[in-house]
Amino acid sequence: MRGQAFLVAGYVPGTSVIHRLSLGIKALLLFSIAVLCLASPLVSTRVGVLTTTLTLVVVVVGHFLAGLSWQRMWRAVRMMLIFLVLIMGYQWWQHGPWVAWSVIAAILATVLASNILTASTPVDELLDGLAALVMPLKRFGADPERFSLTVALMLRSIPFVIGAFADVRDAARARGLERNLLARSLPVVIATVGYARATGDALAARGLGEPESS
Amino acid sequence: MSFSRPVDETLSTSTPLSDAPNNKDGLRSRRVRWGAMDLSLIAVFAALLAASIAVPGINVGPAGVAITLQTLVVVLCGLVLGFARGTAAVGLYVLLGLIGLPIFSGFRAGPAVLASPSAGYIIGFIFGAATVGLLATWAVRSRWRAAALFAAAMAGTVVIHLSGIVGFVIKGMSLPTAMLADVVFLPGDILKNVLAVIIALSLHRAFPDLLLRRSK
Repeated sequence: MRGQAFLVAGYVPGTSVIHRLSLGIKALLLFSIAVLCLASPLVSTRVGVLTTTLTLVVVVVGHFLAGLSWQRMWRAVRMMLIFLVLIMGYQWWQHGPWVAWSVIAAILATVLASNILTASTPVDELLDGLAALVMPLKRFGADPERFSLTVALMLRSIPFVIGAFADVRDAARARGLERNLLARSLPVVIATVGYARATGDALAARGLGEPESS
Repeated sequence: MSFSRPVDETLSTSTPLSDAPNNKDGLRSRRVRWGAMDLSLIAVFAALLAASIAVPGINVGPAGVAITLQTLVVVLCGLVLGFARGTAAVGLYVLLGLIGLPIFSGFRAGPAVLASPSAGYIIGFIFGAATVGLLATWAVRSRWRAAALFAAAMAGTVVIHLSGIVGFVIKGMSLPTAMLADVVFLPGDILKNVLAVIIALSLHRAFPDLLLRRSK
């Protein structure tokens, strides 16, 4: 199914050192990179420039260590290139080239680091991590089972919605309404809500997802 | 011909609901647990948000963020699901995007998005849907329903754009540049709000009990 393919597109299979790290450690590393990049410029400009540059180098090395390609790095950067240029220009003009570099390097390092995490961890593992993260909240009245059910429902629904978009586009094209925004979107939303209600009824009929003891 | 059932199950939303059950519902609403239908709606609207970036969007503005139906669906979450469920749907979408599903515009994913300059918009989506949802519950009962819903949608858009500008400035852009970078997307979003209101009106007509809870 097309929708499923799109969900796993971020993952690049491999057996590198980084792939073999556990999700917890990777998350911890990512968090420390973010803290380093945000906190170090507060100490002094020199420390900030040194730390962010070093972090960026480490992250870029990690990127290739995980077996990821240049294209993937460029794709991550290209999305925000215009904003980076704007930020760089303003920081240079206000605070000089060194500060501008440390700001840009900090953004690049954190973005690329998180890119590595996403590329080296299968989606299933990420979702399991999320479920484990929510578990302790049970003490505060959260309901991890129903939360996981909702997440599963959402993932299952994505292929349906993408399919609905494709069907509606074909239908609109057949009627010569391909450029009509309403003809392209309204049927999708109506189909989606109908689908949600059918799913809700099916769940309720099986006694799933209802709050306990009310 | 006789009805076997009393017909006070509020099938239409045009007649204002009586205040008594409404108030009770309002008082309890903090503790009202969501049923299977609510969970399903939240999940499917989050899926709609995720899917709206996977279909080809319309490219407006100088490079950068492609304009998709994403903000339209964010506004729609508020208009159709109301405050709590709308916020939950957008929140679920953002949460899953942040843990690494490639569901943000441009198939970006993971905590990286928080570090990127357009992070303000992603966070703003949650507040935007909350604002729209809060106002929509009132707007749908108003006499000028379409205008009121549009006002609610615009309020949400303002919140999203303010949040986006704040995000730019935090990442080190000057305020005027940030506003300029933001204003490019405003005309598209206003157009999408008109569309969202038309869709929401159709939906409320097709599924009258969608926004206003059925009285049990």
